[in-house]
Amino acid sequence: MAQIEALFLIDLIATFAPYMIVALSLNLEYGFCGIPNFGKTLSVAGGAFLVGFLPGRLAAQILGLDTSKYIENNAKIITMINNALQTNLLLSLSLLILTLFSAMVLGAILGFLASYPAIRLREEYLAMTFLAVGEVMLIIGYNYPELVGGTLGVSVPDPFVWAGKYRFLLITIFMLFIALLVFIYLQLLTKSPLGRLLRAIRDNENAALAFGKDVIKIRMKVIILSSAIAALGGALYAFYTSNVIATAYQRVSWTFWPWVMVILGGAANNLGVVLGTFIFVAVRKFIIFYKEIFGIYVPFDVVWLDMLLLGIALILILLYKSEGLIPEKPIKTIEIHRNQSKMSKIES
Amino acid sequence: MFYYPFSLFVLMLLEPLYRDAIIFSSLLTLLSLGLTLTFLTTKVPNFCHGSLATLGIYVSLTFDKVFLINVYYSLPFAFLLSGFIALLQYILVLKPLSKRGASVITLMVATIAFELILLAALNIYADYIARIFKITSRYFFLRGSDFRFANQQGLLFVAPLIVIIVSLTLYIFLTKTKFGIAMRATIENPSLAGSVGINPDLVYRFSWFLSGGLAGLAGGLLPLSFIGNPDTGSFLLISIFAASISGGLFHIFGGLIGGYLIGFAEVLGTANLASLMGTWVIPYRPVIPLLAMALTLLLIPRGITGLSFEFLKSGNLWRKLKLYF
Repeated sequence: MAQIEALFLIDLIATFAPYMIVALSLNLEYGFCGIPNFGKTLSVAGGAFLVGFLPGRLAAQILGLDTSKYIENNAKIITMINNALQTNLLLSLSLLILTLFSAMVLGAILGFLASYPAIRLREEYLAMTFLAVGEVMLIIGYNYPELVGGTLGVSVPDPFVWAGKYRFLLITIFMLFIALLVFIYLQLLTKSPLGRLLRAIRDNENAALAFGKDVIKIRMKVIILSSAIAALGGALYAFYTSNVIATAYQRVSWTFWPWVMVILGGAANNLGVVLGTFIFVAVRKFIIFYKEIFGIYVPFDVVWLDMLLLGIALILILLYKSEGLIPEKPIKTIEIHRNQSKMSKIES
Repeated sequence: MFYYPFSLFVLMLLEPLYRDAIIFSSLLTLLSLGLTLTFLTTKVPNFCHGSLATLGIYVSLTFDKVFLINVYYSLPFAFLLSGFIALLQYILVLKPLSKRGASVITLMVATIAFELILLAALNIYADYIARIFKITSRYFFLRGSDFRFANQQGLLFVAPLIVIIVSLTLYIFLTKTKFGIAMRATIENPSLAGSVGINPDLVYRFSWFLSGGLAGLAGGLLPLSFIGNPDTGSFLLISIFAASISGGLFHIFGGLIGGYLIGFAEVLGTANLASLMGTWVIPYRPVIPLLAMALTLLLIPRGITGLSFEFLKSGNLWRKLKLYF
């Protein structure tokens, strides 16, 4: 029994970590800078598809395997790679880091491309463009089998295969560690003068313009950075599930859910978003865990009930607690007397 | 010789590609007209507009397969149901939110929340009728239920006819009736309209109802020619946005122009590219409206109806030409 509970907990945390990364990246865009990114799934899928595409081929090349029919012989090639990785710690880790890094680069490029047509226009246009562009990755992944195997999906080499039966535990800890790094980075970023600039742009664009800030350029940079982070989340998730299938990266699960997490937790508060993500993931996992029990009483798939409740909950939060569980807090700046001493130094 | 245009029309009818293009773009036009209408009045793009159409699809399916009544009789019900749900969305969600001073982003998120609810409800309904009545409720197709006229599918005549009727009615309504003029006044300036005794809230409610109703109508006709599924509407959303944006979001008939433009571009563009480059292009069909949308946003962000055609008027054109020569 304890075994099942431990597995449940590991699964919960392993789903929580990538979603935490994606939700935090959305919080940087929406919470701090007021960018309505309804195409989060684009960069998440970009990162995940890169994991399906790159490391397997790369490892096969390094190990001298035949990659001409990579998709057809996917299972065989991946088994051979995993056998090799079992003893080759250096190769596994370098493969992991290289893939994560290139996923971030790809995510940044995708973020730039997605926002470029509408970045100068009003937020409604930006939102519509993001939503429309967000589907592109899914369409390509689904219809171009060379990328991630189309309808069937591909397996991914497992860089933690050397850990044996502790593989899931180890990759979960690794993901949580990366998520923590992202959290600390974003916390530092948003507490810095740059964070204050982002809030200024969100609250009053004209005021920021009047202070000589290039609002469009800064928005673009925020989108690029946040898309890179989101791609990292997608890549980690793909490594965890150790296979990639295009249909798993739909609008609902990688755009709408992160939005619910951010709004539930509290926009423009990183800690709140982490809490919101945890509550969201935990509630969903419990519903799936007890699905069989629910399933007897209702004549449809419980997944939809869960979505229905989610939509209603989101509307109720927007109506009655729009600031979220942990509201945005005023920014702590340098204390006034220290500021004054600095000022006097400058004046003298 | 004089019947040449007529024969060309018949040829167009015979070519299945053009038939598909006419049907698809007519339905798309109904959808984008509604989206433009709600954007004009409440200034928020409705992200669940596609799913409102899906409601119509399921009304059609229920009539055809459960009640065994012809699909065309279901259209008024599809109109009313989708219109009512859209009205509900405005009254229960958007109005209280904007009363609390919510930003446009919050309103957009609220429409997404409503989209989640609709998607879930549609899926539940699909599961339910499949289990109770033992019918196919996913990836279904009702082309067989359509009537045939002049050896053609009835929808080929009905869909453009509905667009013509709707746009003519809308035109007369907006220019000749008192409420229509009040509506235009509210679109231009809600507070000024309010100060001369127009009730903007009534105008908003009416426009949401009409917008949802048109979506339901389009949805009701959709399964006669395309595959119906709980997420059909969500997938159509990209085309709807592209149509509304390229037509222009600041003029009601932007939806009309954009709908036909994007509809034809999508169907004919995909087919021509497929014959040029191979059939692998076909699944990438949604990329065409996307490119059209991106190009519009980069070149003419206000859309076709936002363009200034002043220079085409005889006097102006002459003056412009004189500048150059």
